[in-house]
Amino acid sequence: MDFRLTEEQLAWQMKARKFALEEIRPVSLERDRVADPQQTFDWELFKKGSRLGFRTTAVPKEWGGHGLDFVTQALIMAELAKGDSAISKAFSQCWKWSHLIAAVCTDEQKTRFLRPFLADDTFVLGKGITEPSGGSDNRLPPDNDPSAGVKLRGVRDGDFWILNGEKAFIANGNIAKLFFLDVRTNPHAPLREGVTLFLVPRDTPGFRPGKVFNKSGWRFYQNAEMIFENARVPHANVIGEVNGAYKKSSGDTSGGDIFGDLELAANALGLCEAACEQGIGVARTAKQAGKPLKEQQIVQLKIGRMYMLTEALRSFVLRVACEHDQKIHTANAGLVMNFSTEIIQEVSELNMEICGLAGSMDSAAEKLVRDSFIWSHLAGDAVQRMKVARRIIR
Amino acid sequence: MYNLQLTQEQLQFRDVVRDFVAQDVRPSALKSDRLESFDRPLLIDALDKASQIGLRTMAVSEENGGAAADSLTRCIVLEELAAGDPDISAVLSLTSNLGHLLFDRLLNPAQRDRFLPEFLSDDHYHLSCGCEEEGNDTRLGILYHGSSLAARVASAAEQGLNKQWVVNGAKQNVLNAPLARLFIVSVAVPGRQQPVFMLIPRDTPGVSINPETKFRLRRHGVGGQVTFTNCHVPGDHLIDPSQADLAALLASVEPGSVFDQAIDLGIGRAAYEAAVEYAQIRVQGGKRIIEHQAIGTKLAEIAIAVDLARAAVWRAAHAGDHPEATADGSLPNLPLDLISRCFVGPAVYRATKDAAEVFGAMGVMRDMPLHKYISDSLVLMHSGNGVSDTKLRIAELLAGYKRS
Repeated sequence: MDFRLTEEQLAWQMKARKFALEEIRPVSLERDRVADPQQTFDWELFKKGSRLGFRTTAVPKEWGGHGLDFVTQALIMAELAKGDSAISKAFSQCWKWSHLIAAVCTDEQKTRFLRPFLADDTFVLGKGITEPSGGSDNRLPPDNDPSAGVKLRGVRDGDFWILNGEKAFIANGNIAKLFFLDVRTNPHAPLREGVTLFLVPRDTPGFRPGKVFNKSGWRFYQNAEMIFENARVPHANVIGEVNGAYKKSSGDTSGGDIFGDLELAANALGLCEAACEQGIGVARTAKQAGKPLKEQQIVQLKIGRMYMLTEALRSFVLRVACEHDQKIHTANAGLVMNFSTEIIQEVSELNMEICGLAGSMDSAAEKLVRDSFIWSHLAGDAVQRMKVARRIIR
Repeated sequence: MYNLQLTQEQLQFRDVVRDFVAQDVRPSALKSDRLESFDRPLLIDALDKASQIGLRTMAVSEENGGAAADSLTRCIVLEELAAGDPDISAVLSLTSNLGHLLFDRLLNPAQRDRFLPEFLSDDHYHLSCGCEEEGNDTRLGILYHGSSLAARVASAAEQGLNKQWVVNGAKQNVLNAPLARLFIVSVAVPGRQQPVFMLIPRDTPGVSINPETKFRLRRHGVGGQVTFTNCHVPGDHLIDPSQADLAALLASVEPGSVFDQAIDLGIGRAAYEAAVEYAQIRVQGGKRIIEHQAIGTKLAEIAIAVDLARAAVWRAAHAGDHPEATADGSLPNLPLDLISRCFVGPAVYRATKDAAEVFGAMGVMRDMPLHKYISDSLVLMHSGNGVSDTKLRIAELLAGYKRS
């Protein structure tokens, strides 16, 4: 076993660390306090990050991207998330769908969509799966129930498909220029046999973004409704086969979304590092009656636990990233995602306890806790855990 | 005898408050624009109505015009109120508890005659206490045995033959400060080991209030900084220092008291009720989500947490009302209020997070109340003494020693 990083990996890690420290951290709390959920995004910051390569990290080199390996991707996500978890996610969301384009699109589609994506610092990607009537039904589709899951309807009309319906909670739904969309093209078949994957540009006639959701934390990263009223999408934008979304959409043919799982765990690692840094800073500097907080046993125990959990997560994240690079696909990606939920929440809560013991209830500590809530839904809810468990059991 | 039955009066109190919350508090408290806003203005109309049904003065004895609600009854009421809105509950908790302490225990007859009639007759008359010790060295944090005198920010000097006190200084994070008409303030006096406690009406020249925007990170309700600038307080506004341990009495209105725990319980119950209701409506996987084992067991865990938290709070409140139950060994001779404090905070926080998870993505959206329940319980878990330092206090009391 060799735990050393390569020169290139270290260089990207340092670049991300510098960007997080100099550009992200200074605006993180300010962005968190923007009351209007539509105004939380900072385009200037995003463009700066894009110019440094943090938007196109995952696009293969032969298509003009950086084609970085999974270990480097994990390192960058963690460093950016140490500055601000939601800002890191805003960048890595583009990688998630870059992976998908590279894995499942034809060369003609790659030419049509990857080229403009690479050329434009404000080109953001998204994917619409969840709808008001179904989240879990799409994540873990019930067998043989055609009524469950995706309801956004697509009907063929010559060289076009006519889309009607809506998507909800879609990441980058109001700002992305290109979306992957799960569309019900056979209402009589179960989800796995009745859904087609489309690529839908933002300027498609009949599509408009709806409400931007007002989240408790992760405020920089926007989620919106997407509304389709007789939206016309060319047949040439169908990805893979009609009714084949669940066969072709995954970049990982062994099952499971290998990047998405790693992504949340690597992001959690960065937030944990931020919590550790803040916690130990308070423990070293805060004094009570002339005595540094770090001399208190209960503070030492908390610091030890925060670091133990964070380092365990780091080991697991890098192991999974390394396995992905070696094309070893196991349930570990899902497990590390599940695991990151407990870790991010406990570590950020321990930091808040240390701040409380210092007598300073800090809004930065509170933000880390609030940002960590969303893991309960995205990474560690019962459905995400059962999905992974079923893969192990089968 | 082991009797867990509430009295008719307690049940009646609970039902009246539950109806009031359903009709007058929840509809305003849970409006989506209020939930989405970063500011959460106090529901003044509901607060006034609460006063009209006697909740502002509920803890004051009957002979002094109140309802003589004991600690357990107050906990029941505060839970009901907090299930609708923890801010209203926190404001009424402080005013009614301080009302009881002042008018039934601490004030002399002349002071009572001076302040009680207006307190009883004016629905807007709230009380506040600037008695928490200031600074990191004392009340907050783990070194709670620090010097209290050095940390007090407000100080006073006696002046003249008629013993006017001149008070200068400021108190931070004072609950109810923006509403209060009368403050009880602990004040350092040069040359004295112990602080003096004095009554300072809001309209005393030299008193100014600055509402604090970050107050919500610390406690529920409304709070602010109270500044005293050459504030002349008559000598007869002093609380008689020969009375029982004033600081110990005032601990019942400090953050983390059993009454704050009752507020936490209300937050947990609101989250629990929301999750159970939603789990019976939402269909995924071909059936109501409550029928899925994963959700069913989660709801059971929430119910277990909230119910055990209630048992801990009620037992601590009962022990406060009935010292004889501890004296004869019916209840263990343990600091039940502190034990409850350590259990309730984390249990309710966990319950609110579990409840939010039942809602999926809606659990983290500001236009639904779930995120509010999590944040509200987080505030209570960290207000005043946290769980870690409360455990240190328990350890001292178990063996009767004092940490150096």
